[in-house]
Amino acid sequence: MELREMEKKKQTKRKPGVAIPWEEKAKELGEIPGDKQLVQKIWEDVDTLAYIYVWQCLVSF
Amino acid sequence: MAKSTEQLYAERLKRYVTAMRNEKPDMIPIRPFVAEFTAKYAGYTCQEVTHDYEKAFAAARKCAADFDWDAVVGNMVYVWSGLTEAIGLKYYGVPGISIPPDTGFQYLEPPQEKAFMKPDEYDQLIEDPTGYLFNVWLPRVSADVTEIGKPATYRNNLSFLKGGMAMMQYFNAFPKQNELLKSETGTVSAIAGILKAPFDILADKLRGYLGLCADLYERPDKVLAACEALMPHLTYVALAGADPDKNVPIGYWMHRGCVPFVSHEHFNTFQWPTLKPIIEEIWANGHQVLFYAEGNWDAHLDSFAELPDRSIVYHVDQGDMSTVHKKVGEKFCISGGIPNWLLATGKPQEVRDCCKQVIDIAGRGGGYIMDASAIVQNDGDIENMRAMTEFTREYGVY
Repeated sequence: MELREMEKKKQTKRKPGVAIPWEEKAKELGEIPGDKQLVQKIWEDVDTLAYIYVWQCLVSF
Repeated sequence: MAKSTEQLYAERLKRYVTAMRNEKPDMIPIRPFVAEFTAKYAGYTCQEVTHDYEKAFAAARKCAADFDWDAVVGNMVYVWSGLTEAIGLKYYGVPGISIPPDTGFQYLEPPQEKAFMKPDEYDQLIEDPTGYLFNVWLPRVSADVTEIGKPATYRNNLSFLKGGMAMMQYFNAFPKQNELLKSETGTVSAIAGILKAPFDILADKLRGYLGLCADLYERPDKVLAACEALMPHLTYVALAGADPDKNVPIGYWMHRGCVPFVSHEHFNTFQWPTLKPIIEEIWANGHQVLFYAEGNWDAHLDSFAELPDRSIVYHVDQGDMSTVHKKVGEKFCISGGIPNWLLATGKPQEVRDCCKQVIDIAGRGGGYIMDASAIVQNDGDIENMRAMTEFTREYGVY
């Protein structure tokens, strides 16, 4: 999800939607012989669930 | 010939959306935000609808079946205490557990010295809000989550597992509830997604109201930076839950970021500059926001009028309907204005008279939605809710 201008201006260490950045995980994995984009996409999709969890705890519960 | 539920749904959706776009539909839509009232109507206790969301869903659907309402929220009982108990959240008084079973849940704000965020932790929050929530806030607000650096416990691990799965289960139950509302009674699901202002989040969930008030004088630069750091995250969360069809608005629950809780200067320095860009971003993504202005936000109507036309639906609680209509009625749809105390303690004819007055002020030209001033709890009188509904159907036809 792109937040256009706002995200560019208000940068925090972890950007919205991210709990553990892919870059951090990629270092642990090292060389990926298979489809790197697939690994990244699924990592980020599942990681966002954790992000949503804590922010929904804050906002909705 | 009786209408099918498909026809009824289509009519209601068109009516509701037309009004929200500040245009004139066939008649005034009725969209009550009913919470524990649904329990009263359906024969449940507050405990039952707060703790068992399937009962809350059933109660909402029973109301939708029996009242001619165009839109309702699938479950307006704000917190599902099944989840809050599973993760050990400390800040709720839960009906049937810590408060009587027929009292609506209560939010327990800690004393100032025990605020969930300490005054010297602003820099941590500003640098990494998500990290702060996981590492500092969650261990403080949960009885089960251990502090970072301490050994993980069985209860800690289960808190995350149960919390995550319970949240997923609950959120995934809403599409089915929305479909049942549509297919059983032709009722529109009124809102999708949730927003709170950075300034309100700081007060409500982090520093506490008194703590934030002190911070406004002792460390104002940190308060502003914290609000700015929260902005993209709260925007993301709001958009993540928004209606993919862009029909119904994101609900924005407004709390204490207004005069007299804070000064005009505080609103203009902290609250508005860190809220307005969020609303503009959401509108740029094609979604309206329902400004659920609980209390009285009349002091800030000129600021709200800066927003793009039709970008919000403005809900009136204790504000003056004439003032609101005059200041923002040209730009935004207005909802609400029927006082909860009247719906609880008045007589049906008094409710009818009030509805007429509000409709005459705000509804003659379209762009008005009938609703109570604030979320209707179990003090709402059934006959008064019926009077509000029936009168609006009689008098609210264009």
